[in-house]
Amino acid sequence: MMSDPVTFFFEGEALSARNGQSLAAALTDAGQRVFRHTGKGSPRGVFCGMGVCQDCLVSVDGQPNQRACMTLARDGALVQRQVARPELESKADFDGKPAQPLAARELTPDVLVIGGGAGGLNAAAVAASAGASVLVLDERKVAGGQYFKQPAADAPLLDAQQSDGADLLAAAREAGAELLGGVEIWGAFAGPLLYAVAPDGTPLVLRPKQLIVATGAYERPCMVPGWTLPGVMTTGAAQTLWRSYRSLPGRRVAVCGSGPLNLQVALELARGGAEVRLVAESAPSPLKRPASAMALLLAGPKLALAGSGMLLGLRRAGVPVHYDTGLAAIAANTDGSLRATFRRNGREETTELDALCMNDGFEPQNEILRLLGADMHYDPAFGHLRCTRTDSLSTSVDGVYAVGDCCGLGGAPAAAAEGRIAGAAAAAACGFATHEDLWSSRQALAGARRFQKRLWALHDPAPRNLDTLPDDTLICRCEEVTLGQFRNGMADDADHIGTVKRVTRVGMGCCQGRYCGPVAARLVANATGRSLTDHSYFAPRVPIKPVSIGTLMATQEALDAKA
Amino acid sequence: MPKPELLIVGGGITGLCAAISAAQQGARVTLVDAAVNAGTTANAGSLHVQLQSRFMRLYPEQAPNVEASLPLYLRAVREWDALEATHGPFEMVRKGGLMLAEDAEQLAFLETKARREADKGLDVEILDRAALERIAPWLGPQIIGAELCRDEGKLNPLAANIRLQAVARSLGVSLVRDRITSLLIGSDVQLRGETDSYRADQVIIAAAWGAGDLVSGLGLALPSRAEPLHMNITEPAAAGIEHLIQHAERSITLKQLQSGQIVIGGGWPAQSRGNHAVPEVLATSMLGNVALAGRLVPGITGLRVIRTWAGMNTTIDGKTALGRLAGAERVIVAVPGDAGYTLGPLVGRLAAELAGDVPGDVDIAPFSLARFAA
Ligand SMILES: Cc1cc2nc3c(=O)[nH]c(=O)nc-3n(C[C@H](O)[C@H](O)[C@H](O)COP(=O)(O)OP(=O)(O)OC[C@H]3O[C@@H](n4cnc5c(N)ncnc54)[C@H](O)[C@@H]3O)c2cc1C
Ligand SMILES: Cc1cc2nc3c(=O)[nH]c(=O)nc-3n(C[C@H](O)[C@H](O)[C@H](O)COP(=O)(O)OP(=O)(O)OC[C@H]3O[C@@H](n4cnc5c(N)ncnc54)[C@H](O)[C@@H]3O)c2cc1C
Ligand code: FES
Repeated sequence: MMSDPVTFFFEGEALSARNGQSLAAALTDAGQRVFRHTGKGSPRGVFCGMGVCQDCLVSVDGQPNQRACMTLARDGALVQRQVARPELESKADFDGKPAQPLAARELTPDVLVIGGGAGGLNAAAVAASAGASVLVLDERKVAGGQYFKQPAADAPLLDAQQSDGADLLAAAREAGAELLGGVEIWGAFAGPLLYAVAPDGTPLVLRPKQLIVATGAYERPCMVPGWTLPGVMTTGAAQTLWRSYRSLPGRRVAVCGSGPLNLQVALELARGGAEVRLVAESAPSPLKRPASAMALLLAGPKLALAGSGMLLGLRRAGVPVHYDTGLAAIAANTDGSLRATFRRNGREETTELDALCMNDGFEPQNEILRLLGADMHYDPAFGHLRCTRTDSLSTSVDGVYAVGDCCGLGGAPAAAAEGRIAGAAAAAACGFATHEDLWSSRQALAGARRFQKRLWALHDPAPRNLDTLPDDTLICRCEEVTLGQFRNGMADDADHIGTVKRVTRVGMGCCQGRYCGPVAARLVANATGRSLTDHSYFAPRVPIKPVSIGTLMATQEALDAKA
Repeated sequence: MPKPELLIVGGGITGLCAAISAAQQGARVTLVDAAVNAGTTANAGSLHVQLQSRFMRLYPEQAPNVEASLPLYLRAVREWDALEATHGPFEMVRKGGLMLAEDAEQLAFLETKARREADKGLDVEILDRAALERIAPWLGPQIIGAELCRDEGKLNPLAANIRLQAVARSLGVSLVRDRITSLLIGSDVQLRGETDSYRADQVIIAAAWGAGDLVSGLGLALPSRAEPLHMNITEPAAAGIEHLIQHAERSITLKQLQSGQIVIGGGWPAQSRGNHAVPEVLATSMLGNVALAGRLVPGITGLRVIRTWAGMNTTIDGKTALGRLAGAERVIVAVPGDAGYTLGPLVGRLAAELAGDVPGDVDIAPFSLARFAA
């Protein structure tokens, strides 16, 4: 089993962690949920579990603003709750500090793949086996992306999903692809020219011949009063805690929103020992829609059976699944536990919980594609942008391909098939012929897309209407902007999301508008009567993720030294 | 709608303050703004008074114009003081600006500059390292001295813009979104826009980079140029930097907002995509600008940059262009000189007073349009 437990200190208290655990997981195990306080004094903790929300910030060994979900619990680390405004270093702090920047690495692979999930790893495996030099960069330290996320360090594989992932990783490596984890990509410019920083601080400058973007999706929350409380997290965050780190988000748990991921994670957590009090699904029961259920069975008998197996498993585990049920509000008890109110057929019901998991659909991580100017169109059924692509999955930008959920939700099997097609196309563009059976991949892709369509017909993937939400609901977690403030901000001049941003500060915080942006875009579109397009969203700007001034200095110095 | 007595083209800080001032005089005012690439919504909120080294280096031929305008900058920051008192808060802080020197030559340059500025009435002083240590302990060890200009300051332009827009609305100014494409002068001024047409007794053109095109048919060759510039902002830190920071030789402005965020800019270029699209951020500017900031103020290197943006500045010849158009006296042009956000409120008010034939408190003859007669 996991060896070498580590000891670190949180606010001076010694805590132990398993080798390879993230700080977020180790703190969750220790019952610590409050990682920081906002400028207005609200407590925050793990929310997205994937480096997007920036709500899990802590200071580690005096270095502020470290994401606990992306940071390893190291032996001896001094971890402190992040204060809203860390002190500037003064001369005494930085005097005598060796400011020796690490030499930048300039990398020019034939094919650069960003994102090592189902899509990216398949693309890498195919392109590398064709003979192209392939580099895969992923922000996470734990490999595999969302679907195939691996256990941290030396923990055993949990199930077939993880061992399939391990096989895929091995296949990509054996084909000769170089896989780098823990790499923060902060810049994407025409070329394509990308800037990143390796986990040891080495600045990376990337000029690939072909670029495959496979950055996946993040989760759409259920925005209700209380959704920012510690203990409330996305379903994927809870899944990562469990699948990668064997940590449960809490003892008494509920899962809400819509979609198959919620059912799967509820079952995983129940099997892991959590008391899962309910799954609230906003769509009606499939039993009420036998035609749709049958269509799903026909489109993908194996996966559909797996799905009903999940429902059966939940029943066996004693986990009730409530359909037509939505989250109405969340409140915190004095001991930090949660009181969640669900609404079903107009009746409200309150449940006491330690953790509440939410997933109300997905938002594509399309910032690199948008920065590079790839053409996008709005998909009203899923309420998000989709990247416009050719049959070989190239975007409107020369030499740039896009696969998987970053182009709009499609699921892991579709991402895998798209990856194989794009990997072959990118390798071919560099002059490497593949033996890849593209016909099979295209068949698989068509099948996966059919299945997804039927699957989501049973759920509720379109974004919620916010009209009935109370004014005091936060829509911008970072800047703590309420729906009421946003509505007021639109009253004078709702012409564009950028105008309302400047008036309300919505989207100006550390998550860079990832949670409020889609909501704000929809609110402005409703108010102006215009349909949603790429331009309805916040303009894409670097940095892709917050990047430290020290990193930018090291990059500049390394470039200067080379010049 | 009844015909406005005054129509203002351009809703940036200049047009907005002209509208407020004219409405306060009792005029019926319409403000027509295309709302694209306003420097006002992109700027950094530095209140500049001392000669900006960037400007002297980039446009040496225009430096004498800026130097001649120094008293105008002094008036302009006092105009901001007055606005802050009546319509604030804009998170304004007037603790002065520091222009840093890293070697003896730079310090000597600042000493000469300070003498010339003192002659024009600026409150300036040269500080040595020990004096700097007391007010700015976060500066890099290589900084040997600085020029302190006590007249300078900073504010939050977002806060100021919102409040001033609300003031204009409350005074009955009608705010219209449109792009004016032509002006025709007769017994009044007829303006054609992309979505509507307008008539007014008088027009103030406060359209920054768009001004030149609008007046080109009226016998004026106003060389208003759009200059795309780059900005960066960090996550918040504890309050520590009160001054506006600049450098004697390199392009940079650095300041801390009330939110605790550090704003870094100072005229690094962005990539234009035409005047009607927002410019694009350049990697070289982001790296160069932020790395320079970190070198001068090492205390911020642990902070993360969370956003960059690019906006459109306007340059003409360094000096404000303000006056009636010869031969088309119903038209007034009001385009502030360098550091236009600092100058905007004053230039806007003076334009409104010109329109209302109210005797102003500043001699505007030096800014006359005669120098651009075609
Ligand atoms: C939180 C979550 C949990 C899910 N769990 C399940 C599940 O249990 N079962 C299921 O059937 N489906 C699940 N899905 C859906 C399914 O995982 C996806 O459809 C599938 O993983 C898509 O594969 P992908 O390659 O497009 O993206 P992903 O597998 O998400 O991989 C994308 C990778 O890109 C990396 N990345 C993103 N941005 C950057 C950047 N800027 N720089 C560097 N790296 C970056 C990410 O770290 C990630 O590893 C989940 C989705 C999410 C969002
Ligand atoms: C990134 C950046 C940082 C800056 N930092 C500072 C600073 O710190 N301090 C400082 O003092 N100055 C700064 N400036 C300069 C300052 O922002 C501008 O000089 C000032 O805002 C100009 O104000 P304005 O009202 O004259 O014009 P603008 O704010 O540019 O407004 C002009 C308006 O006219 C509109 N328009 C143009 N043509 C037409 C037409 N034909 N019909 C209708 N409308 C039209 C435009 O769309 C725009 O909305 C900065 C500029 C930039 C770009
Ligand atoms: S929980 Fe760590 S960034 Fe969201």
